[in-house]
Amino acid sequence: MTDSKLSIVDLTKKYAAGMAPAVDRLNMEVEEGHLVALLGPSGCGKTTTLRMVAGLMDPTAGSIKVDGREITQEPVNKRGMGMVFQSYALFPHMNVEQNVAFGLQMRQVPKAEQKARVAEALDMVQLGHLGKRATKALSGGQQQRIALARALVVEPTLLLLDEPLSNLDAKLRDTMRTEIRSIQQRTRATTLFVTHDQDEALDMADRIAVMNGGLIEQFGSPIDVYERPRTHFVANFIGQANFLNITVGEDLGPAPSLGERNYKIDVAGLGQFGAVGAPGLTGSSRPVLIRPHRLRASLQPESAQGGLKGTVEQVSYTGDTVSIAVRVGDELLKSQLHTTSGSLPRTGDAAYLSWNPEHAYILPEAAQAVAA
Amino acid sequence: MTALQTPPATAGSRRELQPGVLEAAANKRRKRTYLALLIPGILGLLVSFVFPLLYMVRMSFNEGAPDGVVINTFTFDTYIKPLTDPYYWQVTFNTFKMGLTVGVLCLIVSYPIALFLVRSTSRFKGLLLAIAIAPLLTSAVVRTYGWMVILGTNGLVNTSLESMGLISTPLKLTNNMTGVTIGLVEIFMPYAILAMISGFGRLSPQLEEAAGSLGASKFQVFMRVTLPLSLPGVFTAFLLVFVMSISTFITPRLLGGGSVQVLATEIYDQTTGLLNWPFAAALSVILLVLFGTIIAVYQRIVKKIGG
Repeated sequence: MTDSKLSIVDLTKKYAAGMAPAVDRLNMEVEEGHLVALLGPSGCGKTTTLRMVAGLMDPTAGSIKVDGREITQEPVNKRGMGMVFQSYALFPHMNVEQNVAFGLQMRQVPKAEQKARVAEALDMVQLGHLGKRATKALSGGQQQRIALARALVVEPTLLLLDEPLSNLDAKLRDTMRTEIRSIQQRTRATTLFVTHDQDEALDMADRIAVMNGGLIEQFGSPIDVYERPRTHFVANFIGQANFLNITVGEDLGPAPSLGERNYKIDVAGLGQFGAVGAPGLTGSSRPVLIRPHRLRASLQPESAQGGLKGTVEQVSYTGDTVSIAVRVGDELLKSQLHTTSGSLPRTGDAAYLSWNPEHAYILPEAAQAVAA
Repeated sequence: MTALQTPPATAGSRRELQPGVLEAAANKRRKRTYLALLIPGILGLLVSFVFPLLYMVRMSFNEGAPDGVVINTFTFDTYIKPLTDPYYWQVTFNTFKMGLTVGVLCLIVSYPIALFLVRSTSRFKGLLLAIAIAPLLTSAVVRTYGWMVILGTNGLVNTSLESMGLISTPLKLTNNMTGVTIGLVEIFMPYAILAMISGFGRLSPQLEEAAGSLGASKFQVFMRVTLPLSLPGVFTAFLLVFVMSISTFITPRLLGGGSVQVLATEIYDQTTGLLNWPFAAALSVILLVLFGTIIAVYQRIVKKIGG
């Protein structure tokens, strides 16, 4: 516990009495040097959490510790954090150098050292030549880098990024993603990164906190949250997802991934298939997750394993692959076919779906009403 | 395909359809429309502003005889008197000092209100703004009389201070520059607030938060971010209040009780009391040129500071 860089305990924010809390008893431990993405839809409490860590907002309850030191009551200017705002918030009346030097001036760093550190920070974001420019003369990507340099030059205890890429166009966003990540890894700055973009989170983060309704639904590595989502929400929010409501059958023994079991599953009277999941699920009713690209579709019945028979309902041609949606009972399952695999499917065709057992994951969360 | 769709055209119609020609014609037509729309405004300005102003300039070179007789001539006598008589230098200085004092004091009291209104996220923001500028619904004359009642020898301020035992003889708050200044500051506050609000566009809570996160205390945030970014609004508000102060007549007249002499009251006395129109005109031209220059210089400086 004590060796985490940032430790958040039961952090709660209520905007008004009677209203549901924006952040509800949130707990999180962040390791030194990690980049943690707070990922979730708008209104999930991710920005509120970040602002409470930054000291821009007072929590209703709970505590925030950095390096084991309680900072919950500390004012924003004493926390020594570096924040990058969604709108960059560069000071329009200062040039690039003055913007970057601001935090050093506030810390009363000697003039000569200021100059050297500003130059170093600007070089780090590859804008060393623009020091004298007015900030409004810069492009969005350049402003973004200045904001990053300004936050990092003070060697912050934590780097806080509030949707830093959402104001950039798609191509620049990719470049900046890589750049922010590489700068973060070089400086080893422990970073909290707010985003609603799952690709961004998967690509950049060491850990992802998937948030929903003021709660962390899951906190884990990108692989964890993608491959082993704890809840229906997480599975659905990160990547494309197919769900089948099944009854878990016989335990067939240990699965390839540690601590998991192979199960026989019963798909609502359509047949018996294989899946993996946590121990002790036999007999329960749960959703099973199969990612569309792992759901094999075939227009001919497969000989080896009967497969799940359905009807093609939607076909969309995307070049390399054809995305199809197959109606199986009440469920509409998404899958892909390679365009090399012979004739193209048409709506109304019969399709046979199958999967490797290790690609079907039984969610630990009990089945709930699944929205169509 | 394209060849089939192009209709056969005669030489004449083709020339007309050249895009450049069409555009030029459209431009010409548009310009003519703009001019036509400008005519009422220009006519109004000519009749109510430009001609009277020219007439006033011409009047200032006439000679004023007793009993309001204006002798049509061309003389500089009307200018020589105010430019050589120390009394008029004093009046001009008084005017300038009053404009400056009222401008600065008005900024000091209006700035916090304007800042509060800009930052407010209250749903009553609109109402608060309306309250702040509500005094404009009452004429300056009425408000000046109000101040006379409040500041007078037996007014609210003096009686309150006396009953609290803070003073034994009433303070002299009317019929002097103090009263005029207090009255003008209050009367011009709504203008100052409006001008500042419109000039506070660059302020944003995020910039202040950013400064705070970089280690600036609340005071430093204000000095380094809020204040510099609000300067355009402050400059505009000051200019507006300054101009209105040096040209105002009613308040110096009523609250000054005849003992406060500024250019506006002097011009009024010359026009309606002494009926010396050429001299009043000359004073007006001096006011116009002198303060026109000051304002022009001011705006150049502001532009330089504002970047």
